Amino acid sequence: MATKVKNEPFVAYSESAIRNNLSIVEYCRTSVAAVSGCTAGVLGLTGLYGALFFIVAVTGFWFMLLGKAGIDSWKKFFISRKSLLINGIFGHFFTYILCWTFIYGMVHVY
Amino acid sequence: MSADLIVDPQIRFWVFLPIVVITFLVGILRHYASILLSSQKKVEMQQLADSQLLLRARALRENSGYIPKNSFLMRKQAFNKEDGYLMQKRPPVTQNMMTDPSMMTDMLKGNLTNVLPMIIIGGWINWVFSGFITTKVPFPLTLRFKPMLQRGIELSHLDASWVSSASWYFLNVFGLRSIYTLVLGENNAADQSRQMQEQMQMTGAASGMPADPKVPFKAEWEALEIMEHQSKLFDAEDVLQE
Amino acid sequence: MPATFIHRSILTVGFLSLFHAAYSAAQHRSYLRLNDLDFTHLPLDIFIQTLISLFIIMYGVLQVAGDFKEIKASADLEDRTWETYRNIPSFYTFSHRGGKCSQLASKSGLEEIE
Repeated sequence: MATKVKNEPFVAYSESAIRNNLSIVEYCRTSVAAVSGCTAGVLGLTGLYGALFFIVAVTGFWFMLLGKAGIDSWKKFFISRKSLLINGIFGHFFTYILCWTFIYGMVHVY
Repeated sequence: MSADLIVDPQIRFWVFLPIVVITFLVGILRHYASILLSSQKKVEMQQLADSQLLLRARALRENSGYIPKNSFLMRKQAFNKEDGYLMQKRPPVTQNMMTDPSMMTDMLKGNLTNVLPMIIIGGWINWVFSGFITTKVPFPLTLRFKPMLQRGIELSHLDASWVSSASWYFLNVFGLRSIYTLVLGENNAADQSRQMQEQMQMTGAASGMPADPKVPFKAEWEALEIMEHQSKLFDAEDVLQE
Repeated sequence: MPATFIHRSILTVGFLSLFHAAYSAAQHRSYLRLNDLDFTHLPLDIFIQTLISLFIIMYGVLQVAGDFKEIKASADLEDRTWETYRNIPSFYTFSHRGGKCSQLASKSGLEEIE
């Protein structure tokens, strides 16, 4: 039962569509975390610069995401804009650190 | 500054990279092995019928306002009369986990795909790749992290940001989770921590599950019994006229 | 638009470029080490290549991942045809006479064949 039809003042959301969108976003964000980790490793960033780079990359990706959904029409696809940026950011940061460490070790340590 | 420490580049290709690759491939392998071993849960007919019965009773209770009183009473009778649906006798279900062979094999398979590779691969990695400095984390860490990151190397003067091979393996085991999600899709079996959680939940559910249908039946029966029919459509004609 | 071949190739190009940049950086590091120089920063071209490949990959991932669906339930309803409106799963019933009929039919059919 994907659709719940309610009266007009309530906005009815289709559950499966929401889940579909969120899983796409999750997929993208995980890959972005991994790839930006690799980039940070190649650049040889250390310490706080790496964390800053993560924030910059994620925010940049957030803007790209909104650009894809449409600047005005993101409301058609997502309920909240902010949750796209914030949700699960620590898990992604962990992925980022792993890739960062891995590539940094591959490129710069030896 | 310990950045001056020069590590043999051979370590990169024969220790550092293999650990990542092995951990990753073992995860993938575990995913497919568990797919291969997993057995579809058979749902017992009787149980399914019971749960559907409960759903029907609940639906009647919630939507009773939309049917005439007469119909409601008829349905209620069907459920609640002396030999009605909700008064059926069910043989008491005593499902003992230890005596149920399917449960046992399930647990065995879970262990086979979860714990065994963990022990074997972990031990093997520890044995083959022990005592190397593999990499350096690109951020400063305090001395507290030393035992975590430098397992297998007891050097007190080494900077805390160097990582030993055993610790690198563990970092990988816990860190590759999201990569598995990326590669294998949402519900993969490669991730052990999630699986362990699931197993915990499953055992929890299984102990509660020998669901004696008597109890929810009784509750539903009582709820229906004290239910008073109240039509929600008494003013339907008026609304229609407006 | 669904993920096309072009987007996949964009993604591939991005990864190759990133890999190339990583390899160059590793070469640079070994060059510095051989000449006893200190590492201060990456050469500018590698730096720029890395950043550009990051953006290419981001773009490629975004395109490959798929399209969003509209979350309004009404959007789903709009392109339903009138035939599916009468499809209400809760009212499915399987224990009707059709089963008996078809059983009989198939039995008699089998007997005829035999």
